[in-house]
Amino acid sequence: MSNLLSMLLNSATTLDTYGRVLETSQNNVANASTPGYAKQSMDLYALPFDPYSGTTGGVRAGQLVSSRDEYAEQAVRAQSGLLGQQQQMVTSLTSVQTVFDISGDTGIPKALNDLFQSFSAWSTTPNSQTTSQTVIQRATEVAQSFAQSANALDSQAHDTEQQIRQNVDQVNQLVGQLQSYNKLAMAGNKGDPGLDAQVHTTLENLSALVDFTSTTQPDGTVTVVLNGSQLLLAADKQYKIGFALTRSDTPPPTYPNSPATAQIIAPDGTDITSETTGGQLGALLNVRNTVLASYIGDATHPGDLNSMAKQFADRVNQILTSGTTSNGQAGVALFTYDKTNDTAVASSLAVDSSVTPDQLVAADPGPPAVSNGIPLALSQLATPLQDADKIDGVSYTQFYGGLASRVGSQLNDSTNAQDVQQSLLAQAKDLRQQVSGVSLDEEAAILIEFQRAYQANSKFITVLDQLTQTTIDMIT
Amino acid sequence: MAAPDLMEALVTTRSDVDRACELLVSPSPGSLDRCSRVLEAAVHRLAESQPQPGAPKAVLGEAYRLRAAVRRAASLLEGANGFHLNWSRLRDAMTGGYTGRGDPAPVPRGSRISIRG
Repeated sequence: MSNLLSMLLNSATTLDTYGRVLETSQNNVANASTPGYAKQSMDLYALPFDPYSGTTGGVRAGQLVSSRDEYAEQAVRAQSGLLGQQQQMVTSLTSVQTVFDISGDTGIPKALNDLFQSFSAWSTTPNSQTTSQTVIQRATEVAQSFAQSANALDSQAHDTEQQIRQNVDQVNQLVGQLQSYNKLAMAGNKGDPGLDAQVHTTLENLSALVDFTSTTQPDGTVTVVLNGSQLLLAADKQYKIGFALTRSDTPPPTYPNSPATAQIIAPDGTDITSETTGGQLGALLNVRNTVLASYIGDATHPGDLNSMAKQFADRVNQILTSGTTSNGQAGVALFTYDKTNDTAVASSLAVDSSVTPDQLVAADPGPPAVSNGIPLALSQLATPLQDADKIDGVSYTQFYGGLASRVGSQLNDSTNAQDVQQSLLAQAKDLRQQVSGVSLDEEAAILIEFQRAYQANSKFITVLDQLTQTTIDMIT
Repeated sequence: MAAPDLMEALVTTRSDVDRACELLVSPSPGSLDRCSRVLEAAVHRLAESQPQPGAPKAVLGEAYRLRAAVRRAASLLEGANGFHLNWSRLRDAMTGGYTGRGDPAPVPRGSRISIRG
């Protein structure tokens, strides 16, 4: 009789175990499309079985095991960060590229070409007021083109700063979400698959924005460290990062009036920009502090567009002022710009409004004196032979082409890298799905297998129950 | 090789490499096997169809696209290799434990003789 009762008890435990397995499988199926969810399985343990010593065997439910593989998660996050970085580079560089027209139909190249043509026309009719007026008009267009390009780049720098600020806010917001999940884990929800899915989805979203490493602590909380050194989250404490536009005084800036540099600031005020290299935020910082700064300048260099504008204006003015009229009157300079700030030359470049056509002197006093020597020397700027007419060893048109091709080449590299990264992220996600994704076929097989086992066990309990009842009837 | 033939060879090779990339995005052991055969064929064709510097612009453009496809395949191969290497290390650590330096201990593997009759 006692044996029958223990068998009944054993079967009830088995039924409960199968029920848990079925619940786990049902939960997997229900969460098959839940972002960040990792397949769960129930460990089963066979109980000791020896009819002679009275141990009746059976099965016991063990721990609920998550199939999450941190290596696969880390691989997805790494690829997501690289893709975010390349996508941001492509978006930002596409905007920067629009400033540089290399077709020669608009912008600086067209304005330069028109000015060089006006110099040639002036050399053929050096005493014509009309051609002198055309030179002034074309020079004004050159100045306006430089100013427009500089202003467009400046505007993009501001847009980029705005995006950096938004990215920093997003990073803080996502880390804030993780902080709330950590609090839930600390409150006893460690191991909750739903919470685990939310944590990993948030980490994946964060990885597109910035480079970080995360570790799961024994209490179930995640610790997030920016690029391996700056702590962003530990247990229930969040360390918010900030954004600032600053000019460093160490070393003393060569160009103190230059545009400020975008910086990411740690809670203690230290500059952690150099640690923020990956993801969209890393790309934005690169575009703002390196790509755009190479054109508009920073504390250490004036920027290539400003250097070009300054050198061109100075050279044209130098040639113009070297001329003299027959009555000894010197030629006048045409271009003006802000001489106090080398990083604002392009944006402040203008033609002196007081200059009149008759003040443009065509005669080069020599020796030998040449009646159209000045416009001839100016037209040499188009195809320079002497170093003084060149910039960095090439003509102004070629130098500008170099500026344009630089951003074009960077954009091309980023576009190619973006294509590769899209494939790599798809690969990493596929591998993660193979390891921890829910396979509906697999779950269907588990459901059928355990449903049959459950039915068989139920039948067994019914028989045992009848047997027990019969035995009780016999005794009483 | 004449320019039209060269162009055709490059296009075919790129299509092979793109097919290998598709297989590598889902790098199961089966797809890796198929991918290695596809890449091997692509490498053979590539060796026979190297454009010279003075080749027509269209041919050089196609060669550039092929180079980009090969780079993509190389990155995907590295990704797949890293993943499988990790599993292999994990399996070694689970079966052989760790060395004093914290690396997975080497697992002695018996030799196998395969006889095909």
